[in-house]
Amino acid sequence: MKGSSKESLVLTGLTLAFLGLTAAFVFDLWGRIPARESLPLVDASFTNTATVRLSAGELIRSDGDASGLDCYACHERGKPLKLQFDAENNVILSKEHSDIVVGHGRHKRNNNCFNCHDETNLEVLQTRDGHQVKLVDSSVLCGSCHGPTYRDWEAGVHGRTSGYWMRDLGEIDRKVCTSCHDPHSPAFPGRPPAPGPRSLHPIAKASIERAH
Amino acid sequence: MSDIHKPCACSPDKGVSRRSFLRTSTVLASGVAALAASLAPLRELTDYTSIEQFMQKYYKEMTPQEMEKVLERITREVEQHYKIRPHVKDYKPMDGVEFVYCLNLTRCIGCRKCVHACVAENNQSQNPEIQYIRVLKLPHGSLDMEKGDHNYAPSSVPEKGFFYMPVQCQQCKNPPCVKVCPVKATWQESDGITVVDYDWCIGCRYCEAACPYFARRFNFTKPSIPKERLNPNMSYLGNRPRKQGVMEKCHFCIQRTRAGKYPACLEVCPTGARKFGNILDPESEVSYILRTKRVFIQLKEELGTSPRFFYYFDV
Repeated sequence: MKGSSKESLVLTGLTLAFLGLTAAFVFDLWGRIPARESLPLVDASFTNTATVRLSAGELIRSDGDASGLDCYACHERGKPLKLQFDAENNVILSKEHSDIVVGHGRHKRNNNCFNCHDETNLEVLQTRDGHQVKLVDSSVLCGSCHGPTYRDWEAGVHGRTSGYWMRDLGEIDRKVCTSCHDPHSPAFPGRPPAPGPRSLHPIAKASIERAH
Repeated sequence: MSDIHKPCACSPDKGVSRRSFLRTSTVLASGVAALAASLAPLRELTDYTSIEQFMQKYYKEMTPQEMEKVLERITREVEQHYKIRPHVKDYKPMDGVEFVYCLNLTRCIGCRKCVHACVAENNQSQNPEIQYIRVLKLPHGSLDMEKGDHNYAPSSVPEKGFFYMPVQCQQCKNPPCVKVCPVKATWQESDGITVVDYDWCIGCRYCEAACPYFARRFNFTKPSIPKERLNPNMSYLGNRPRKQGVMEKCHFCIQRTRAGKYPACLEVCPTGARKFGNILDPESEVSYILRTKRVFIQLKEELGTSPRFFYYFDV
């Protein structure tokens, strides 16, 4: 008799334990792994392959507003231009040209518009040795001073490329100097960086936040 | 279970009494109920391996017909999951081509555009994030990786006094990650790209530990890619969507480069710091760079991994 009551005690205990477990599993008493916090998608501007600016040639081809290239809409043909400089030897720009930032080189020797523009014909450029260069062919003018960079660019090593590395399968798309550099202020501008790696781990996250 | 039946065994001469049978059955039924309840989360499992995939042969042993079937299966699975019909292809290496990557440290401004173009091109998980490229910010005059910071977030880059060094898979000539793989799920192809067969990988992460460049990434969870950001141009060894529990890494955009195009990270670089091409072609950009530029490192060259990724300076 004693054996039988012990047996029923064990069986009842087991049944209760199993039912308890069932309830625990069904109602997730241990809790689920919390859902991951959603991360904002990276802005599409960071995956955009466009260059930072458009060259004169690209502006004309893309049917953009090329009115800024039409010098004689305002200037008078054949009338010589006189440049004016302030006390610090900076060129004084008229308000029509106030969008131009003069900053070519870390010195002030390149403050003269006619180092590159031709004073007799404003629609063309001139090299220092007197050759006239069309606005859309400005890379040759750039190369007349920046020799090593021009050499690298010709070899496809300086500047942006896209398209096909294998020329048999398709065209390579080369950019010209002014697709990336503003000729009046050619240093490559700074830009906001894309978001860095985002960690989901609380300890790593805390250390990133501490770093900022 | 044997414990439960023990009480019955104590009276074998009498047979099983009705009461004892009922009591034992109750215990068994509640036990089964507990087991079933504990297995309930399995119902939420959706991306289990299909029989087709389970029976799939090793990549190098597959005939073109078998590969065709596999590509069909992948197309079907992607379409089912993302509601977009992808173009999945198995791009093969080209003859007489060995890829080399050159990165100009003078030009890199640390904008991280390459990181995100890579994610978009190669269908990496965006939550949690998997990124093949890490951009290190290092102080001028040093190449001490210990001083590198990859969490920089200023309002504008580049910052004065620092240079930036993007690190990704170096496509080593002597890759330690390939040597440690116990199932040969990763290997080096004839054009120099080290690839991973996501259907063969068992997720042991030995390769991740062996890589000295932190170039390999593991899918700890099911990768999540927004449908509208899925790139439908896919390759078997490249950017097809991965499963949970497999390794992945940079593969020089196999689906682009083996079709003659430049990799995505190169095309998005605003400064043109990244150069890519065929080193066996003396006319290529990378040949010019290695011939004429101050190519100063293969990262951690003392390890003898012989990377196909070169860092150089302009001046």
